[in-house]
Amino acid sequence: MIAAESISALKTYFREDQIGNNEASSPFGNSGDMVVFPETEGEIAAVLKHADLNGLTISIIGGGTKRGYGGLIEKADILLSLDKYTGIVEHTPGDMTLTVKSGTRFKDLQDYLARYNQKISLDPFWAEIATIGGIIAANESGPKRLGYGSARDAVIGLRTVYPDGKVIRSGGRVVKNVAGYDINKLFIGSMGTLGVISEITLKLRPIPKCESLVLVSFPTGNLEEIRAFAVKVLDSMIEPVSLELLNPALSDKLAGINSYTLALSFEDVESSVRYQEDFVSNMLPGDAELYINPMEKADLFWNRFYRHIPNGAAEELPAQTEASLKIGTVNLDSLQVLKESELLQDKFNVRIESHGGLGHGLSQVTIRGAEQDVIDAAANVRQVAEKAGGYAIIKHLPFELRKRVDVWGNKPSYFFLLQGIKTKVDPNKTLNPNRFIGGI
Amino acid sequence: MRAKDRVKSKDKHILNLADIVGGARSILYLKVDLVAYDCDGFTIHKHLPKAVVFPKNTQEVAEIVKYCSANNLPFLARGAGTGLSGGAIPLNGEIIISMVRMKKLISVDLENRRAVVEPGFVNLKLTNSISDKGYYYAPDPSSQYCCTIGGNVAENAGGAHCLKYGVTTNHILGLEVVMPNGEIVEIGKDGIPDAPGYDLLGLFTGSEGTLGIVTKITVRILKNPEGKQTVLAYFDRVEDGSQAVSDIISAGIVPAALEMMDKTAIEGVEAAAFPVGHPKDIEAVLLIEVDGIAAGIEEQIDQILEVCRKRDVREVRAAGSEEERARWWANRKTGFGAMGAISPDYLVQDGVIPRSKLPEVLSRINQISSESGLRIANIFHAGDGNLHPLVLFDARIPGESEKALEAGSQCLKVCADVGGTITGEHGVGIEKREEMRFVFTEEEIAAQTDIREVFNPHNLLNAGKLFPSPSRCVEIKKEMKAQAIS
Repeated sequence: MIAAESISALKTYFREDQIGNNEASSPFGNSGDMVVFPETEGEIAAVLKHADLNGLTISIIGGGTKRGYGGLIEKADILLSLDKYTGIVEHTPGDMTLTVKSGTRFKDLQDYLARYNQKISLDPFWAEIATIGGIIAANESGPKRLGYGSARDAVIGLRTVYPDGKVIRSGGRVVKNVAGYDINKLFIGSMGTLGVISEITLKLRPIPKCESLVLVSFPTGNLEEIRAFAVKVLDSMIEPVSLELLNPALSDKLAGINSYTLALSFEDVESSVRYQEDFVSNMLPGDAELYINPMEKADLFWNRFYRHIPNGAAEELPAQTEASLKIGTVNLDSLQVLKESELLQDKFNVRIESHGGLGHGLSQVTIRGAEQDVIDAAANVRQVAEKAGGYAIIKHLPFELRKRVDVWGNKPSYFFLLQGIKTKVDPNKTLNPNRFIGGI
Repeated sequence: MRAKDRVKSKDKHILNLADIVGGARSILYLKVDLVAYDCDGFTIHKHLPKAVVFPKNTQEVAEIVKYCSANNLPFLARGAGTGLSGGAIPLNGEIIISMVRMKKLISVDLENRRAVVEPGFVNLKLTNSISDKGYYYAPDPSSQYCCTIGGNVAENAGGAHCLKYGVTTNHILGLEVVMPNGEIVEIGKDGIPDAPGYDLLGLFTGSEGTLGIVTKITVRILKNPEGKQTVLAYFDRVEDGSQAVSDIISAGIVPAALEMMDKTAIEGVEAAAFPVGHPKDIEAVLLIEVDGIAAGIEEQIDQILEVCRKRDVREVRAAGSEEERARWWANRKTGFGAMGAISPDYLVQDGVIPRSKLPEVLSRINQISSESGLRIANIFHAGDGNLHPLVLFDARIPGESEKALEAGSQCLKVCADVGGTITGEHGVGIEKREEMRFVFTEEEIAAQTDIREVFNPHNLLNAGKLFPSPSRCVEIKKEMKAQAIS
């Protein structure tokens, strides 16, 4: 329990309404005995410095959508919420760069940028809740990663508050930069274990003049046929922004098609998009079915898509236990991951929704069912991933259950380097302790 | 052992290192042989290495590194030696570990769009090896016909086409690295993305050979775009050219490349090996390339032509043939060397600025030129704001080299002052160590050297690169800290 002195010390930095007793604790943990809402970088630094000097722990939260992602502490001493640390610092449309405070919600950013016909090239889940800081800290990406790249391709500069309160800038505001080590990369995906990212500079892309979504479903569910089709697409000159395979359950939920379905999206000038749609329809294998969705219908599909995984910001647990796993394999092996995960439904009496990027190698498997069944099925999904030479991370699970599983899987052989970095930057383990791989 | 495999040295380290790499044919240790290794593409600083060894595989690299580490011998890795900032110069009389014999293309997996290469494999050879299947490797530094992919990883090399496709770091999927203690680690196994843990791939790429020695690289390969078209535009005023660059980007076009040369640069390229007949009296030439689905290219080219015309272009046209396109690019890609045709020596700089500051920065560079009395040519990746001011000078005139270095540094200061940075693709190396202070505070530099200590604690690997020598105050602080601990 946080000492009364600490609370009163923090009160010297903050107004009453910036400090709260975090009574509504979350079923996903990663909470705090008290919560603070800094509004400036200086205030973030003050909290960190105070905690670091006084042996307190801090849990960091943005929109909370990833609250079920790692972490073995139900409550740290302080929950640092970036909810009130929001807004655009600088947007230079001519340079196509944007600097933003980390607590800003992703959808708000995209809505703002749309007025300039620009966007951030990322497609995260729960964009209306998730913050840009959280997305970067967890290195979140969606199916359009094939065309967009990931957070590490979009971020060009960061300001990060270190545990001792100093502010370290990395990268800059220009799109090309090799001055010094690229330590932006260390913070991207670090799960808040090295510092609190306070400002993020991103390179932007123009909003494409035309978009469409082509769904190709395979009623026979023959994965060899799907593979052959995907290989043909990848080897052709068309440039889909996504080449994502959905399992029948997910395809049914999003598009009412109860079979394996490939979601190909195209973003370009109109003539190019139409050409690519035609190209796909002409190369369709015998029994596959084609659904071309113009922009509005495509939007509807994707909006549903980005909400299909469990949301860590929920205040209560649903009746059924939910788990979600992020799986990385060699690109086309995501087919194998989806296929073998499918078989776990009967074996463990669970429902599975899954999708995998055949052009980028990341899959996501969401499991719903009874507590133990979900845990067992998740362990089996990891076996499937590891058998394919890949990894599986449990990216969503209620706090109580996380204690019973291994969220991150085996430590890599170079774990000593990861630990070395953590020890250099956060020697007192002040930030998000135990949130990351190997207890970092 | 045959006579020619015998090493004629009394130095036990030379003998032991020769044993590791298999004899005299894999080590250089005589001064006459070592002078070729006293610098890289940055020729102003020179220092002889103690020896150059040529390992054939990862195990030999690891053994060399272990030996150097155990015997406190400084060492560094070198690729083709084309680096422009001095990253491979043996400042401390290092053992140079040359990677040129590790030059195999290990595997190509077209379906999963990746290839595995050894670090000595030449950049352009990768594209040449897969182009018949319709694939290529995107990063294309101007030296790509001879530079190695290992060196590209060390420097996070860019190139003309990184505007759309990104720099080296965006194309590296996996690395095998020999750590400074000789341990071999594999990061990004099989090129699988987002391995759990901090992103060491991203950290290693661009670390200028100071964190470890890369011995195997998994890269992303891309499908050739279906169509490609290049536009050439001549402007009477640099401002119009710069504005056209911004207009093209604002129109929502993402060109594959968007290059610019100024009057002095044009004079150089036209006097050199690949002239294309650029008019001598224009202020700026733009080279704009669009690629992608063929059906969409014409639309974009029309738009580009229109944008240029609105900005008072003197002449603008799309390439009439693939041959013409190739000539335009050869003229541009040999631009640095072309300066040799109009000046005995030149110094290449590598600043980056926010695109919108281009006119302002160019006029300040002009000012630096007139103040220093040295001509400065400008070749740049205008689309991403990466400027290469080429300071022309004559090293035979006493004091002119120093003047050129000073002018180069001032150009970087201008870039930093407008919110840019001191290097976009050439690296800091030796050349820009002090200029690091233009963009980072002492504390921020320390945050970076802290990371180096995790990987390279004794700083035997490529010491003295990338960071300015610590200022007095940091040294004193460190001493005080050391005393406090002891």
